[in-house]
Amino acid sequence: MDTSSPSAFVNGALLRRYIGQKVRTVIQVIGSDTGSVVGKSTDDLQIVVRGSSPPNPLTTYLEVIGIAESDNSIRAETWTNFGNSFDPQNFNELCKLANGEFKHMFI
Amino acid sequence: MAVDLTTGAINKMLNGEVASEADMTPVLQVTELKLIQSKRPNQEAINRYKVSLSDGILSQQGMLGTSLNVLVTSGNIQLGSILRVTQFVCNLIQNRRIVIISNLEIIVEKCNIIGGTHVQAGMPNEPGQQLGGGAGYVNTQSNGGYEQQQARRTDLNGGRYGVSANLPQPQVVHNNPDAGRYGVSANLPQPRVVHNTSDAGRYGVPATSPQPQVSQRYGTGSGYPETSPSIRPYGSAIAGYGGSGLEQARAPATTAYSRPVQSAYQPQSPPMYVNRGPVARNEAPPRITPVAALNPYQGRWTIRVRVTCKGELRRFSNPRGEGKLFNFDLLDSDGGEIRVTCFNDVVDKFFDQIVVGNVYLISRGSLRPAQKNYNHLHNDYEIHLDSASTIQQCQDDATIPRYQFHFRNIGDIENMESNSITDLIGIVSSISPTGSIMRKTGTEVQKRALQLKDMSGRSVELTMWGNFCNAEGQKLQNLCDSGVFPVLAVKAGRISEFNGKQVSTIGSSQFFIEPDFPEARELKDWYEREGKNAHFTSISREFIGAGRQEVRKVITQIKDEKLGTSEKPDWITVCATISFMKVENFCYTACPNMNGDRPCSKKVTNNGDGTWRCEKCDKCVDECDYRYILQIQLQDHTGLTWATAFQEAGEEIMGISAKDLYYVKYEHQEEEKFEDIIRSVTFSKYIFKLKIKEETYSDEQRVKATVVRAEKLTYSSDTRFMLEAMDKLRTGDANSLPVKTESSNYRSDAFNSGIGTSGIGETASVDARREFELPAANQVGQYGNQYSSGARPVSGMISCNACGSNGHVSANCPSLMSEPQGEYTQGRYTGGGMPRQHVGGY
Repeated sequence: MDTSSPSAFVNGALLRRYIGQKVRTVIQVIGSDTGSVVGKSTDDLQIVVRGSSPPNPLTTYLEVIGIAESDNSIRAETWTNFGNSFDPQNFNELCKLANGEFKHMFI
Repeated sequence: MAVDLTTGAINKMLNGEVASEADMTPVLQVTELKLIQSKRPNQEAINRYKVSLSDGILSQQGMLGTSLNVLVTSGNIQLGSILRVTQFVCNLIQNRRIVIISNLEIIVEKCNIIGGTHVQAGMPNEPGQQLGGGAGYVNTQSNGGYEQQQARRTDLNGGRYGVSANLPQPQVVHNNPDAGRYGVSANLPQPRVVHNTSDAGRYGVPATSPQPQVSQRYGTGSGYPETSPSIRPYGSAIAGYGGSGLEQARAPATTAYSRPVQSAYQPQSPPMYVNRGPVARNEAPPRITPVAALNPYQGRWTIRVRVTCKGELRRFSNPRGEGKLFNFDLLDSDGGEIRVTCFNDVVDKFFDQIVVGNVYLISRGSLRPAQKNYNHLHNDYEIHLDSASTIQQCQDDATIPRYQFHFRNIGDIENMESNSITDLIGIVSSISPTGSIMRKTGTEVQKRALQLKDMSGRSVELTMWGNFCNAEGQKLQNLCDSGVFPVLAVKAGRISEFNGKQVSTIGSSQFFIEPDFPEARELKDWYEREGKNAHFTSISREFIGAGRQEVRKVITQIKDEKLGTSEKPDWITVCATISFMKVENFCYTACPNMNGDRPCSKKVTNNGDGTWRCEKCDKCVDECDYRYILQIQLQDHTGLTWATAFQEAGEEIMGISAKDLYYVKYEHQEEEKFEDIIRSVTFSKYIFKLKIKEETYSDEQRVKATVVRAEKLTYSSDTRFMLEAMDKLRTGDANSLPVKTESSNYRSDAFNSGIGTSGIGETASVDARREFELPAANQVGQYGNQYSSGARPVSGMISCNACGSNGHVSANCPSLMSEPQGEYTQGRYTGGGMPRQHVGGY
């Protein structure tokens, strides 16, 4: 397994802990422009994802892996459509666990 | 003075003078004790003990009632024990007389055999001889035979029983009946042929009365005055030593014993039986047998009983044809209860005649082992009436209670095994409206629940089914609505383990609303006084949502927790992957004939001409059904197990009907398509609801898992489930997790019900023991209760005859019967020495 560049599971609130680092999150797409997608994080915060070539068309849920630029923006390296049915609450819980009590279990 | 055996008692039994305890309650010694196992098909082996009882001269074969087995296994009765037989019947079985003992008192546990050997009696006398009276008796034994006996006796003395070796050549007396016999014996060359007649001499009473010296001896310990001998000897002797430690009393008895052994065989004063007239038989109209003494070895009996409960007429059909039956429950004045079952013609004969509450004389009929599944009465037998049976209504007898209860308080019920039957009494605090539930068979049934509270400070949910909802349920509802908290006594409710402990009605349950008996009044008073404001802990879990709560487990827990090995199947859910599937014989050919509202579904066989034959329906059909019988292997992170999925579950797993799949494989021979279907299923995750039950296949016990429902795993909801579980784990409530802990949900259930097996701590096994002992003790109580109305000492402790628990005598027992008004007099209880009291502990 490649552990050279781990990406932390984050929701909107956790993003600010990882500014400058690689993160991974899932957003519900609100709208998109050329080179950027605006979405809602699993904890109901707005996140702007910039980067080249987002997939087209976009599904309701979108996973992005990239560098956290600020507490509400990510520069995406990888975009993945997550389909239209996704349980944001479960993901949100996962983020909390992965950055809280069970952090040691995550890279 | 030590115990004297009731000399001559055996003789009287042999000639029919003594037939039951009504004639005498002899003191006898056990000279032989043998375990006999009788096996009936489909039933557990029944252990019985065969005994030889000696009166010092003769010995007699007898059987101990099964309820007395405990006494043997606990060592209270052993070879040499001296007993007073307080309840027995002499029966003629295959020309041998056998004494069936249903109750006894142990006078001395350990003692050397008195009087050397004994002639085994058993062959009854010819009827003619009996009728002939004293004059008819002839000493039929030749001298030669006599000497033989003597020789044998001496052998025994020298070899086995050292005690009697120092006796001056005691002589053998054989089994000819009394009056004439002693006249003859005087002619024998050795007049030392003696009977221990000292009894008769000392007391001046014939041996038909109980020997009072027993009570005298024990009586000193507890301050009860000596009870005078009475013709109705039930238990008066025993009452005396209720308070005294048995151990103490026993010790002197044993040591003192050597003396009477000798003295009994010293030449004695001349026998006093010489001139006795013919034996008088009890000429009273049909002798009433106590219900508790009924057993299969009696030919003729008559019982006087009250009908306490009458079942509905039911019809059945089996391979031998149609039939009908009904049953009713009886109670007699001694508190003995028994169920009667009638079949077919007998139903027509008696069904209308039987009215609940009436008193009848019932005679003849056969005694069968009680079907404990259906019959919860405290009796090992039930009566099957036949065409020769007679039922005769008779005058109401106030000594026969209308109902008999064995109330347990709600706190106790929590620790009782599920499925056991209990009586309970409590205050109805609330009642729910009637709801209806669809049965598996598609029929609808009504259900209604109420909360019952009692002085134990606990409450329990009582579920009424069927007719109870409307009749009794409505009455209770009205009472509750009018602001009354009615007292409800429930006879025969079944304890179930469904959301904690619950009590439900069964077919033979009875409700008594606002009954008028002491327990009810007491309860009412208590509720008015303090109960109203008290806090109650429910032993039933409040009903949450619909249906059974899911118990999530992992696969190894099936084995580790020995699921399925208790009486009821265990229902669990597991999240597992199908790791393997047997693809041959995934289905069977089934009978499509509708049987009621469901298809028959039994296997049909191919006739070879395109038709299929069902053995059960006895019909042929042109086209058969195909039903799944899938053998699959389930695997989760802990291990794997085999499981079987039948039709509905099979469809849920395969996503295609068995018939379609059969056609794919065999009719269209699309092997590839078939494999695709199988492959799409294997290695997928499902949530399986499994029924785990141990079954027996040709004497081999196997735990079988059956898939009742299978649902493709939805990751989202499973994740939620896991998150919830983690949450509970972090908050310390590990119980609800499917992890391998001994204290998980299931385990604790097993603790409560006393079925816990291995790996249980000390407390649990103590609990279990207590649970298991209760029923046995109860049965003893049934027999012992009415006759000895005192404490039955078991290894030095006082135990109650009525409920089997320790620490109080039956006179104080809270579980005692409730009688009709006005009949509850002190007189009946004088045997126990104390009037009935309600002790605070109830």
